[in-house]
Amino acid sequence: MGIGSTQPLLSIRNLTVRFGTFTALDNLSFNLDSGKTTAVVGESGSGKSVTALSVMGLVTLGTRAEIDAGEILFERKDGSTIDLLQCTEREMRSIRGNEISMIFQEPLTSLNPVYTTGDQVMESIQLHQGLTRRSAKDKALEMFEMVRIPRAEKVLTDYPHQLSGGMRQRVMIAMALSCDPKLLIADEPTTALDVTIQAQMLGLMKELQDQTGASVMLITHDMGVVAEVADDIVVMRRSKVVETGNVYDIFEKPEANYTRALLASIPRLGSMTGKSEPELFDLVLEANER
Amino acid sequence: MATAHPPSSALEATSAERYQGLRMFMANKAALFGAVLMAIILFVSYILPAIFTDDKFAYAGKRHLAPFSENGPFFGTDYLGRGVGLIVMHGGSTTLEVAGFAALLIVTVGAVVGALAGFYGGIVDRALMKVTEFFQVLPGLLFALVVVALFGASTITIVLAIGIISWPPVARQTRSEFLRQKNLEYVKAARSIGASNARIILRTILPNTLPVLIVQATLTMGAAILFEAGLAFLGLGDPESLSWGYYVGLNRQYFLVNWWGVTFPGFMVFITVLSLSLIGDGIQDAINPKLRGR
Repeated sequence: MGIGSTQPLLSIRNLTVRFGTFTALDNLSFNLDSGKTTAVVGESGSGKSVTALSVMGLVTLGTRAEIDAGEILFERKDGSTIDLLQCTEREMRSIRGNEISMIFQEPLTSLNPVYTTGDQVMESIQLHQGLTRRSAKDKALEMFEMVRIPRAEKVLTDYPHQLSGGMRQRVMIAMALSCDPKLLIADEPTTALDVTIQAQMLGLMKELQDQTGASVMLITHDMGVVAEVADDIVVMRRSKVVETGNVYDIFEKPEANYTRALLASIPRLGSMTGKSEPELFDLVLEANER
Repeated sequence: MATAHPPSSALEATSAERYQGLRMFMANKAALFGAVLMAIILFVSYILPAIFTDDKFAYAGKRHLAPFSENGPFFGTDYLGRGVGLIVMHGGSTTLEVAGFAALLIVTVGAVVGALAGFYGGIVDRALMKVTEFFQVLPGLLFALVVVALFGASTITIVLAIGIISWPPVARQTRSEFLRQKNLEYVKAARSIGASNARIILRTILPNTLPVLIVQATLTMGAAILFEAGLAFLGLGDPESLSWGYYVGLNRQYFLVNWWGVTFPGFMVFITVLSLSLIGDGIQDAINPKLRGR
């Protein structure tokens, strides 16, 4: 991906992150093109979330993590390119939420229970755009309508516990997009939702991306979700990038054994015909051949 | 749901919210009873003394005159022939102020220490917790006795003495709340929209620890009243202002012939502590968004 194209929006180069003696990211490199959805896939513990937190500059916070080497180049709104790993905390704060924002896995707990949803979206807007309360509220309302929250004006004054999981995730998306970021990191945004809401959410994210032109880094272990929305794929395993490429290429002719195993792990309707129990397949063995 | 129609302005939204909180509080019968009790206590301690301005130390009748007797003060007289009712109403403000300021001091110091320790963890946490432990192992009453004996029994020294020995439990509670909350998803979310540490401590986590702090505040206020009464009972009160506890202490040796001298001030202490804990419960429910609007 990104080969021969213009400068990527985000470029991770030789990133190595260690937790004590454990290497969470080992010499990781990949690019993210602007305006595209890049899915970072892999099993639990493969380093997907650590990658996301590194980009946000939150990986060393409250953990023993150390960034050993590498750089994360990001093209800012004003066109300049900076290395996110060299930024001061102050610079990072002005980037977080404003140029790079993030939505989390658990919509049920990622909103603060003591504030109304409106207050929380407005907080992000006021932090970065210096608007008055009045115009921040108008902006929040506009965002709520953009993520298709019905009765948006009413929901502004609702507390999180009054909303369903899908609605809360919409609020989170509204919050994340409120400052018009160039990059949205979505860490398993649909895992905690049921299947119909998942489909809605993915459709919404896709539409919003077309509307705003933001790039999305989608972290997931669900190949079904990847097929649905991704343009590019980065396959990760054991702290390393296994394979990168265009979504069609990877689904058509995966090069790495691990990618093949991962694709084979998607259950297909009717695949159990004539069998009394699910067939075991040795993911570890297959991948180790590589 | 909070309102039937969307509020048309920020003012309407906040007033609707306040109204909901107030309604929640009023619907809680126990809390309402506590509030009425507190109103009576404040009336007795602050309005009545302004009406009955007689010298509380003045001779009001024979010694040990029983309450409700014909030619004496309504609440009887003590061992020196002073009016019990007058002294109790004049002692209220001292008691309440000591309790109020002590609780304020305790909750403020406890919350600040606990928040910093819980939020930053590591060396900050260990250092602050060592300090907390140091104050926790001080023998409370003894330490307070020494402080008051050394620096004299004024309202300020009594407040400081109570404050110094009582903040550690609040700090520990706040710390454990912060430890629990700082790893929750919404704190991560706050960080990811670019909130600073100060903002996360004050705006994101602190409001979520309010229920704990309010319980602590009402409990410590009750405890401070009892502590002040204990100190005063041992003779380390301010003799000028005759707080309720101090007055119980003065009257204790005449208890067998003069039950009213200890009962009336003691009763005031009892209903004050009771009303504070009822009000605390009510406030806790009223600020909980999940219970609002039921």
